[in-house]
Amino acid sequence: MPNACVVKPRTLKELWRLLPSLGPSRKYIAGGTDLVTSANAGLDRGDIWVDISDLRELKGVRETKNSVIIGAGVKIAELGVSPLVGRRLPALAAAIPHFAGPSLRNMATIGGNAANASPCADAVCALCAEKAEVWLELKGKRRKLPLPSLFRGPKKTALKKDELIIAFETPKRAHSGAYLKLGPRAYFGISKAAVAAALELDGKIVKSASIALASVAPVPLMAAKTAGYLVGRILNKENIRTAAALVKTEVSPITDVRSEAAYRREMSGVLLERALNSIARDLL
Amino acid sequence: MKSSKPGSAFALKCRVNGEAVERGLDPSKTLLEFIRGDLGLKGTKEGCGEGECGACLVLVDGKAVNSCLMMAVQLHGKHLTTIEGLKGRDGGLHPLQKTFMEEGAVQCGFCIPGVIIAAEALLRENPGASIDEIKRGLTGNLCRCTGYEKIISAVEKAGSL
Repeated sequence: MPNACVVKPRTLKELWRLLPSLGPSRKYIAGGTDLVTSANAGLDRGDIWVDISDLRELKGVRETKNSVIIGAGVKIAELGVSPLVGRRLPALAAAIPHFAGPSLRNMATIGGNAANASPCADAVCALCAEKAEVWLELKGKRRKLPLPSLFRGPKKTALKKDELIIAFETPKRAHSGAYLKLGPRAYFGISKAAVAAALELDGKIVKSASIALASVAPVPLMAAKTAGYLVGRILNKENIRTAAALVKTEVSPITDVRSEAAYRREMSGVLLERALNSIARDLL
Repeated sequence: MKSSKPGSAFALKCRVNGEAVERGLDPSKTLLEFIRGDLGLKGTKEGCGEGECGACLVLVDGKAVNSCLMMAVQLHGKHLTTIEGLKGRDGGLHPLQKTFMEEGAVQCGFCIPGVIIAAEALLRENPGASIDEIKRGLTGNLCRCTGYEKIISAVEKAGSL
């Protein structure tokens, strides 16, 4: 049994009023798929969990004139069936089937995927390629960060004490996207390496590129050099091959229980090549 | 605000297998502990306690979830369906229970309540699920007797009932 007591504010306003009265070891709980797992394993001794899973302020996927806004409390499964995500965020949409299994997608939230700050987070990696910014709130005050700068290391974020992830904002733009993941089996495993790519194209010319990788660095990694190389170039086999070679110089993988550093580095190139080839094929 | 202090009960209101339930709840319990301990419904199993095996799957508001990773407090205001709540339209066996028996899809049986819940969630959304869709729908469920072939054909058969 998790050694935690759960409190459940009904609104964000109530949450900010409530927090000072709680003990210092308070934490937020949303889907619980990371937090309760570590509590069940005896690794989390947090004694007060503030349940944010039913906060209306964190729900929903909506669009404004220039952006798509995803509430931090949106379940991964909801992203998978959202027409707006399907139409506007192709790299994110492609990542959803690779995110754990159906029941965990019904529980896990996109905000929790970011707050957990695991370098292997599929939805976060895809959102980074989608050029997402993240909205944070602390006691009613909001600030916005580029999503990649939220991450400071494995399980480490730039979040201040009690600061809450509210939403993700991505620019509306015409682009193509892909997400490819290599795990121990076709679905459900945690990745050895994964690649998200989002390209704005003018015919076959790359106008802008963003490439993010999971499980090959301490944080979700933006491959800026590789993306920069692609801009202004034709998306053909030769340039794709060069980009795939380049990305292998940008990653900094480790050897751990899931894979080996050298293999992860090599697969980063293979996955990027396949991802870019799939985008190029769709242009035909 | 719904609040709770250690040792004090949370006033939980929910529906369990169609019936209204109101209970004082220890807020540090997982949904699985509430189901097996407080409600005495033992069909839902604990396998791994970390979301890998799917033996603890139940439906909350019609969606399959791992009850070992959800806090019982989070059931407040929601509908829970456990394996005991699945029935056929005539009140008898559910189509999945029938086809699992017909196909011999059960060996030791420990994983089966979770497998049937996952299959039910899948078939509610997609009654004509293909073999590939069934395999993906059951990716979160492990059967260590390795009986997947018969499980998959039982789910396929139930979809056409």
